[in-house]
Amino acid sequence: MQQSALARTLRTIAGWLVVGAFFFPIYFWTSVAFRDAKDIFNWPPIFFNFQPTVRNFEQVFGISLGFGYGSQEAVTPGGGNFYMGPRLWDSIVVASLSTVLAIVVATLASYALSRMHFRGRHEFVNWVLSTRMMPPVAVAIPMFFIFKQFNLLDTYVGVILVHGLMNLPLAVLLLKSFFDDIPAEIDESALLDGASRWTIFRRIVLPMAKGGIAATAVLCFIFSWTEFLFVLTLTQTGLKTVPVVSSTFVTSIGTAWGNMAALGAAAIVPAFIVVLLVQRHLVRGLTMGSLKQ
Amino acid sequence: MSIAQVKRIAISDSPWPWLLPLIALLAVFTIYPFIYNVWLSFHEFVPKSRGLKFVGFANWVQLWNDGRFWGALGVTFLYFAVALTIEIILGMAIALLLDAELPGFAMLRAVLSMTLVIPPAIAGMMFLLMEDSQFGALSYLLGLVGLLDKATPMLATSSLALIGVLIAEIWQWTPFMVLIFMAGLRSLPAEPYEAAMIDGASSLQMFRRLTLPMMSRVIAVAVLLRGIDLFRVFDYVFVMTSGGPGTATYTVSLYAWQQTFSFLKWGYGATLSLTSLVIVMVMANIFIRVAKVRW
Repeated sequence: MQQSALARTLRTIAGWLVVGAFFFPIYFWTSVAFRDAKDIFNWPPIFFNFQPTVRNFEQVFGISLGFGYGSQEAVTPGGGNFYMGPRLWDSIVVASLSTVLAIVVATLASYALSRMHFRGRHEFVNWVLSTRMMPPVAVAIPMFFIFKQFNLLDTYVGVILVHGLMNLPLAVLLLKSFFDDIPAEIDESALLDGASRWTIFRRIVLPMAKGGIAATAVLCFIFSWTEFLFVLTLTQTGLKTVPVVSSTFVTSIGTAWGNMAALGAAAIVPAFIVVLLVQRHLVRGLTMGSLKQ
Repeated sequence: MSIAQVKRIAISDSPWPWLLPLIALLAVFTIYPFIYNVWLSFHEFVPKSRGLKFVGFANWVQLWNDGRFWGALGVTFLYFAVALTIEIILGMAIALLLDAELPGFAMLRAVLSMTLVIPPAIAGMMFLLMEDSQFGALSYLLGLVGLLDKATPMLATSSLALIGVLIAEIWQWTPFMVLIFMAGLRSLPAEPYEAAMIDGASSLQMFRRLTLPMMSRVIAVAVLLRGIDLFRVFDYVFVMTSGGPGTATYTVSLYAWQQTFSFLKWGYGATLSLTSLVIVMVMANIFIRVAKVRW
């Protein structure tokens, strides 16, 4: 469609303004991470003109950046400790291992769902999809009691298991869509040559679907990284991931906004980088393989 | 079973060995919790004996007569309907706006996808800070344009608290719609538009007669996936308002969680969570039938 130069300019400005409005909260939150309390609690609020400091990061990560706050002793308003290094580690462990679990189980199943014809295949796919509809609270409550019985509360194994299971529907449906992209004739000619399904899967299909598997893994990682309800319910003191531990900075005595923002920013930045890597497959991932870009 | 038999099953063309790990894990995650929830809904925790007691249908009767449950259901539906409507309309508008090759637009599309990877609990915290009446940036900006009085704390006022939560929700998930709709727009064929141009159709006519019908499947998928998540909203209300002030922002998920873990009403919490599960399943399956969404 032909548009006049004026229309194009207006459209460009409108686009920048709209996305700017969406970006503003991210900017503001990040800037709070670099502020002292006086620059956070000001009225009218300070938007740009504040004295930057890395003190919040020093306290949260227990590192010294040369400003003398790098101790792990600083105390939160609630009486706890600001030092959140181990919690970041918890997040990384849980997200990585639950991703491995989901991907291993899902690649096997997706291959069968993509390549083998059997009665009830369509119903099976629908069943997998329907498990995605379960409200987390309806899973978390029984899981709490089951885990209590098996001593899995407050353990890495428990949280990894739940996050891996939570990501299975996404991983299965998304990987199936990636496998569907690979022509079935390749499998069939290899079968005629006497190769077993397992050989075809390992030698032909897996290498060809590498990019799709990587994108799926990235999305599983992010969903585990951002998950809140299960970790809140199934852990106490043994481990906690970043979203849950952030909420503990809100106490009845006050909220350590600067420190919370520092932790939040540290958790968000890797996710941003990662999502840029899978930009190409993002829509397919968000729609569980239903829409291809 | 002999080793040869095992081997034959493993190399045969049967899908079941491939699907077995998935079925086992999904059963643990879905079927067992479901049965456990049903069982639990007929029991209740007795603090005195620290054990469960069979109570028959007492929890279900209580659910039927519980004004707070119906209130929470109302809040959940309101949240669901308002958020979904605004996210679809706003998402479509922004998608149409950004669907052009203009300076920087490729970058803008990438920036927009950033909100989707922020943990919702942290997004809730961001808006909790910005909506504070004492020092919040958003409260200040809304005050400047005369939409909010400085003396009114948004999240602590019954009539405004849900709006405050919805702002965070809509901020975070409108880009979800934008990205999906934009992918849909890009896959549309050019010919019908060329024909319509020759016939002298207006842009609005083209949008209503061509774009919307051709995008119906894309819109249906987006509505289904977002709708499922909206109905089980928990993170935002938990960190921003804990259901308050009063019961103004109590959703079914939050109410179920609090009954179980704050008030130790294990049986009643299970009853509530089972109810929300049934509602989501029924609504989603009706939608899938009606909109003919297929995976």
